Amino acid sequence: MERIPYWNIGYGLLIDLLSLPALAVFGYGIYGHWKRIRQGKASVKLGLTLDALKLGPLHIRSFLTRGIVGTRIYRKLCTGIAHGLLFWGMVLLSAGTILVFANVLFRLPVFKGEFNHWFMGAALDAAGVAALAGVVYLLIRRLFPPERLTCFRANSGFIQVEIGIIAIVVTGFFIEGARIAQNGADPGSFVGNWLGSMLSVGRGGLELHRYLWWTHGLLALATIAYIPFSPLVHLVLAPANAGLDVPVPGPKMGVIDFESFEGDGDETPSLGASKLADFSRKNLLDASTCLKCGRCHEVCPAAQTGKKLSPKGVMVTLAEYLQHGRMDDESLLEAISTDAIYSCTTCAACMEACPVSVNQPNAILQMRQHLLMERSEMPEIMGQANRSLEARHHPFIGTGFGPNDWRKGIDVPFYEKGTTEYLLWIGCSVAYEERTQSIARAMVAILKHAGVSFGILEENRCTGDPAKQMGNEFLFTEIAGQNIEEFNDLGVTKVITMCPHCFNSFTRHYPLLGAKFDVVPHAVLLRGLIEAGKITLTNSGQAICYHDPCYLGRHNQVLSEPRSVVSSVGQLVEMPRHGCESFCCGAGGGNYWTEEEGTRINQTRAKEALDTGAKTIATACPFCMLMLTDGLKKFTEEQMVKDIAELVCSRMESGAQGVPQTLVST
Amino acid sequence: MHIIVLAKVVPDYEVPSADFELVGNRAHPRYTRMIGLYDENAIELGVQLKEKLGADLTVASYGLGDDVQFLRKALAMGADKVVLVEGTSDDPYVIAANLKEAIDRQGAVDLVLAGRQSSDMDRGVVPGVLAGMLDLPFVPQACGVESADGGWKIAQITETGKRLLKLSGTGVLSITSVPENVPRIPAVKAIFAAKKKPVEKLAEIGTGKMNVSELSVAIPKVESNCELIPAEDMDEAVRVLLRRLKEERYL
Repeated sequence: MERIPYWNIGYGLLIDLLSLPALAVFGYGIYGHWKRIRQGKASVKLGLTLDALKLGPLHIRSFLTRGIVGTRIYRKLCTGIAHGLLFWGMVLLSAGTILVFANVLFRLPVFKGEFNHWFMGAALDAAGVAALAGVVYLLIRRLFPPERLTCFRANSGFIQVEIGIIAIVVTGFFIEGARIAQNGADPGSFVGNWLGSMLSVGRGGLELHRYLWWTHGLLALATIAYIPFSPLVHLVLAPANAGLDVPVPGPKMGVIDFESFEGDGDETPSLGASKLADFSRKNLLDASTCLKCGRCHEVCPAAQTGKKLSPKGVMVTLAEYLQHGRMDDESLLEAISTDAIYSCTTCAACMEACPVSVNQPNAILQMRQHLLMERSEMPEIMGQANRSLEARHHPFIGTGFGPNDWRKGIDVPFYEKGTTEYLLWIGCSVAYEERTQSIARAMVAILKHAGVSFGILEENRCTGDPAKQMGNEFLFTEIAGQNIEEFNDLGVTKVITMCPHCFNSFTRHYPLLGAKFDVVPHAVLLRGLIEAGKITLTNSGQAICYHDPCYLGRHNQVLSEPRSVVSSVGQLVEMPRHGCESFCCGAGGGNYWTEEEGTRINQTRAKEALDTGAKTIATACPFCMLMLTDGLKKFTEEQMVKDIAELVCSRMESGAQGVPQTLVST
Repeated sequence: MHIIVLAKVVPDYEVPSADFELVGNRAHPRYTRMIGLYDENAIELGVQLKEKLGADLTVASYGLGDDVQFLRKALAMGADKVVLVEGTSDDPYVIAANLKEAIDRQGAVDLVLAGRQSSDMDRGVVPGVLAGMLDLPFVPQACGVESADGGWKIAQITETGKRLLKLSGTGVLSITSVPENVPRIPAVKAIFAAKKKPVEKLAEIGTGKMNVSELSVAIPKVESNCELIPAEDMDEAVRVLLRRLKEERYL
């Protein structure tokens, strides 16, 4: 017999009517979120030209992948599968319920033939089983939570909604079973038929069915109404946050326009963020969306080595302030703490791990900007680095080297307007530390050998990026302005960088200040030269472990090029954390100039590299090189860390003339 | 109340010795310029006094006209005004006489602060000479100052200890560095505000020099000779190292 909707239920249509107030409450709740988030400022312009498909401010691709499909949640496979079973199970069950509504209201023939058998019967029962399995797993995990879920604050409310969902699914099955016990088996409904065969027929059965039906229906509607007031609101906020996130990795800080400060000075905006009202709407949406899952806490180099900072902790605090409407409460910075704000290495591992597209470093860096530019508060060594950057255009306090010492004894051409093709950008990190100077020398030797037309600036300066990462946007803007002016005067159009921080600064921030030049990181250039046969290398066949610099890998997705370079001089081996999930060396965000609390990040990473058994640790960033070299000292006296340029230089056939002997012995 | 702080713009005082070179007995002009190390401590102390007492704070300097851009930092830190006497002399008497001239133009002055020594000549003579010219008491090596009934309570610090002094009326103090007067990093708004603060430039007055003349300047050259000893065989390497150290008479 064809299934009759609302069989055995008097006034079943009441459920359809009751769905209206439920949806109204749902809408009201979502409006409440919107009202809170709307209090934020507009986001900073990033000046990026992306060919991503957009619908208004929504980026369609990330909305669908990271938002709807939830691709990132599967990085923890068990949780991912449980979440997927629950989510897609509930999607199917909701679709089934809507079809029943459509049948009642518009006589849509869903209870006929194959569709009834395979979808309304088999698929929906399977969906129910899947959802139940998923939610039971998640409930058990909530009852015996891993540390990441509970640190700082657990997301209260999940257990209630999980029990609610279990009740809805279980009552659903029993309604089906009770109906089938009375009316005979449904095609395809394997769970319902099995339950039906066990339930009693008769008056009791009818009553049980009626009772369960109303419980199920009202519980479902109540849950829908409750969504915005429970952690389930991530059903709405997570896809929205994914779609509104500009699909570029990294904190996306943009630049600050200081022109309004040139005026009479009374109405100058407060720099950075000291209270919720200073943050952008995206920041507030981030705080609202954060589910406190703690995946960021698990990958954060600061949180994992005993620093005060946890990206989850920051988000929890922001969310609490937002929840209580403390928009103008400046105790926010004290609540998060200056130490925590300065401990962020801006490595963006948290962003990479976040399943709901939260941008934690962006919020942290805005608070840093406020501390530095408005309150002049910063850790002492960072203060010295800042001062040095301001006065000497490099942050290497106490260096024993002058700006040109790295090229003593070798002939390096200067960039000449109109004739030189590439500017080899020296910056600061390969000039003022002895260990990194050989990176620059190796690069010069390679470029000469490969016959590349290149030159350097007569005076080398920092890009200003360390200032920016330490929160001193003003100093960054000044230094960047000088560099851009000099580049324009010299007609520079192509730049080679050896430091990923320079690369990132040139490509992400300089264009916003009017720069127009192409930048190639040395990893990419080296791979190109090798592929084009401009340099021939002998492969030692020895194991070389490659450490991804955050600003080359995670921030700029340059992952395969340096690996290809390493593979052409040796045998590439990977650390457990590599590629986009690489672990920071500890230097980022100006933390090269800091006194670390707790375990040293660089020692943690150096140990991980050492444990691969490789005798050489390759990297493509002078800061990583310095940090890992230092970190390794705890475990070995051997000098194992090499830049990819040094490796290439040492394995060049008949090409290592003019390179210091120390470089050639790998 | 009016407090004057003396500040001198000098070549980078942290140039690595290996990179340091002299031209005409002075640091090569290629080094970046900045306010002297102890002068910044004096400015910081002046700003703290200004904030506490509501005083006016003027920075007086003797040096190059182009150095105003570096003196602006003192304005960003909190000073109200810069007076710069344009001149190129290194003679302490000439510098002091010109600073006296500049200070005399500022009306009543309640306190004069200076760094304990400039970061280029490192003599520490000018504040004392100036005090003599102004006919004021001179307290060197001061690190803390408080206002105390019509005068000043001064902490003087030496290598062996600390001394508290009471100065009645005005005086000249030379300031040494202590954690309490680490120069602040100016906030961005203060940097912009500093651009609009007044800078008074004065022409040098001619005056006699000290009867001391400079015969020569020598900076010890730090040399590093690197000799690599092959380390394939550790025992052999140690033997070679010992032999070389003995040959060079280090052992």
